[in-house]
Amino acid sequence: MRRATLSVLAVLCAVMAATAAETPSLVAIQNARIVTVSGATLEKGTVVIAGGLIREVGESVTPPAGAWVIDGAGLTVYPGLIDAFSAWGQPAPPAGGRPAAQPQPRPQGQEQPAAPQRSWGPEDRPGTTSWVKAADQLDPADRRIDAARSAGFTTAVTFPSGSLIAGHGAVINLGGESAGEMVVHPLAGLRMELNARGVGGFPNSLMGVIAYFRQLWLDAAHYQQAKEMYDKKPAGLARPAYDRALEGILEANRVVLPAVTRVELERMAALAAELRKPAILRGAHDAYRATAALKEAGLSVIVNVKWPAKPRDLDPQVEESYRTLELRDKAPTTPAALAAAGIPFAFTSEGLDAPRDLIAAVKKSIDLGFKREDAIHALTLGAARIYGVDNRLGSIEPGKIANLTVIKGELFDSMARVQMVFVDGKKYDPAPEPPPARRGEETR
Amino acid sequence: MRIAAFLLAAALLSAGENDSFLIRNATVHPVSGPKLNNASVLVMDGKIAEVGERLQTRAKVKVIDGRGLHVYPGMIDAATLVGISEISSVRETADISEVGEFNPQLRSSIAVNPESEHIPVTRANGITAVGVLAAGVSGGFGFGEISYIGGQISLMHLDGWTWEEMTITHGAAMQLRLPGIETRRFNPATRESAATPFSEARRRQETNLRKVKTFFEEARRYQTAKQASPATLKTDLRYEAMLPVLEGKLPLLIPAAREREIRDALAFAEQEKVKIILVGVRRPGGAIEEIAKRKIPVILGSPFVPIQEEDDPYDATFTLAADLHRAGVKIAFASLGAQFARNLPYQAGHSVAYGLPYDAALRSVTLNAAEIYGVADRIGSIDSGKYADLIVTDGDPLEIRTQVKMMFVKGEPVDLESKHTRLYKKYRARP
Repeated sequence: MRRATLSVLAVLCAVMAATAAETPSLVAIQNARIVTVSGATLEKGTVVIAGGLIREVGESVTPPAGAWVIDGAGLTVYPGLIDAFSAWGQPAPPAGGRPAAQPQPRPQGQEQPAAPQRSWGPEDRPGTTSWVKAADQLDPADRRIDAARSAGFTTAVTFPSGSLIAGHGAVINLGGESAGEMVVHPLAGLRMELNARGVGGFPNSLMGVIAYFRQLWLDAAHYQQAKEMYDKKPAGLARPAYDRALEGILEANRVVLPAVTRVELERMAALAAELRKPAILRGAHDAYRATAALKEAGLSVIVNVKWPAKPRDLDPQVEESYRTLELRDKAPTTPAALAAAGIPFAFTSEGLDAPRDLIAAVKKSIDLGFKREDAIHALTLGAARIYGVDNRLGSIEPGKIANLTVIKGELFDSMARVQMVFVDGKKYDPAPEPPPARRGEETR
Repeated sequence: MRIAAFLLAAALLSAGENDSFLIRNATVHPVSGPKLNNASVLVMDGKIAEVGERLQTRAKVKVIDGRGLHVYPGMIDAATLVGISEISSVRETADISEVGEFNPQLRSSIAVNPESEHIPVTRANGITAVGVLAAGVSGGFGFGEISYIGGQISLMHLDGWTWEEMTITHGAAMQLRLPGIETRRFNPATRESAATPFSEARRRQETNLRKVKTFFEEARRYQTAKQASPATLKTDLRYEAMLPVLEGKLPLLIPAAREREIRDALAFAEQEKVKIILVGVRRPGGAIEEIAKRKIPVILGSPFVPIQEEDDPYDATFTLAADLHRAGVKIAFASLGAQFARNLPYQAGHSVAYGLPYDAALRSVTLNAAEIYGVADRIGSIDSGKYADLIVTDGDPLEIRTQVKMMFVKGEPVDLESKHTRLYKKYRARP
């Protein structure tokens, strides 16, 4: 009965994903080039995975008896690639018109929020859903997950969307039948945005947004203090009112802030210092000339690789400013500058049409002098380290999660293609080259 | 007959009392010629009778001692909303938004409010005449409506009991907003400017330009029909108003800020064989030579505005007048608005600091505007036969510290009090 259910599930899974095949739990890839990232690259090595974890890796490792052996000649094995900021598996923002994939579970007694009301001040918690967790609203059937895996991604840090404080991102593995199986870490970081458009009422400006964040943080600190005092000795004390927005702030392991230009990067570095949590700046096109400030503030960076480009069908009378042209020219040099400065960084596919475009975009930086090994590091261990999951992800080391990306040829070569990926030890074959997706349709 | 003769005599007598005088011992700047030191200006019946260094004093004429003072022609704001728009955000006080795409029959003179608070404020710095626009020149949006031909610009004196008294000429130019390729359009509904793809903007321009050309074609057919059988033709005020334009008597005033719009306007003038004046030129680029070659006059708005493009030189708006002048273009300054019309002399003065020769600057706020509108026989300089529109100052009127001591419009002394001086006195006197 159980077997039958499983095989039905497997069939379902195969139908749904069209790529997943049943994998024996013991697998060895032999004679492959192995880029461990954490150590030296093995020109001809073997990696053994068992029970969803990496068991062994080395040049003189022999495949254990009973293992399914894959001949790795001509293949390169990398740690599974990580997209450090994505929306894969997350419902589209409400404005997109698509209903949430699953009804969101809500604590009892809290009614569904009605249409957003006009906010008059920080006490109305404008644009804030800091209690939302990407891990709780994960949709394993999101077609973007298949596309990402076919492009070589095994892991993503996926975030809810919303106006100012959308909620907590989760580190997820891009394979698995249930949302719970996919989650590697449910509290990767709190997504914060600065654009108050759509909030309705306060705040309506950048200074308002930043002032709101300050107040929110003060409120959270006070809330925490009040809770501790009450827990220690409730008798005779007024009970502090439960506040889910502040609970969400207190829970955050780190904050993720948007910053593209130099002034924004420096501004967010200053804000991050006030928020007293580890901070990640995302966007960062202009970071090539803000490395000193970033280094000093000890921040991590997620580089958006949708490089600025000349708008299509631009009015020829519009004279693009020097500033615009310079950013367009220099943005792809940012990864090399960050690597040289020793600033932890990773990449995001945010804004790209398809996950595979990320590799092509990083290749542009490589052509401008960014080192391949630094690129691979940023796509694997670097990303894992930013989110504090480098003890389980990001490199090919015994004991780590068996997320592997196997490439025919080498990553960033023009002829390279994804041969297979392993997610939690389970093998997936890339979907056949997808037909060019129609714009706006790639979400499901 | 006798009564008529008596009235005429009375009129002459009263005219002689109020609008005839002699200014003596002043430095006279006729603009049309070199300045005259220690000279006199004789005004008879509201007109300038004589200018010279040794004028004989005549009996029964008031004499003004101009020792230490300067006499200039009153300045002309070539395109303004003074008198037609009081508070731009209060719809009831702004008469620049008539609905409809083609309104050539409208003349702004009739809508001018002689009681406008802007009039005395504008006069205080030495402006005696203005070209009143029939529609705003930036964008040309009414309330959701776009007009291509907004109406006729009227030249008005800044003094008079009624609009009729103020009018110098009803139709000085016809205001045309030529459809341009607008890739950035301000949407009044969302109060945001949205970007449009170039190809779409160009298609829209073609469509709208066709409308304008069709209207000109219709007007031409009307003109032919009128010549053929004037008696049976059903009169249409719109086409009737277009006749002087088609005959080349009335110039079109076309807002054109940048090179492409300027070239569009020049091409339109060529195709339709009409006279044009460009207004609001901001960034003419390579079109300057073309403007000069075709002898198209240019009315410039305020230089006290931001530069057009981020990488433009910081002084691009200040050197524009000098650039045009150097190329041989006739320029006149204009406020293109109401509340800052008083700054007209400083638009020219500031341009002097950035290369515009002084004499050209003075002309650009006096005689040039009169020449552009074809009324140089009546206003713009101190020459006999012209209206005695004069200012008497303690120095160079393009200099911000100079005070206008006296003003005469059609020879009549004008009170220089304004809302500004009233407020100045009120708050000076505050205990």
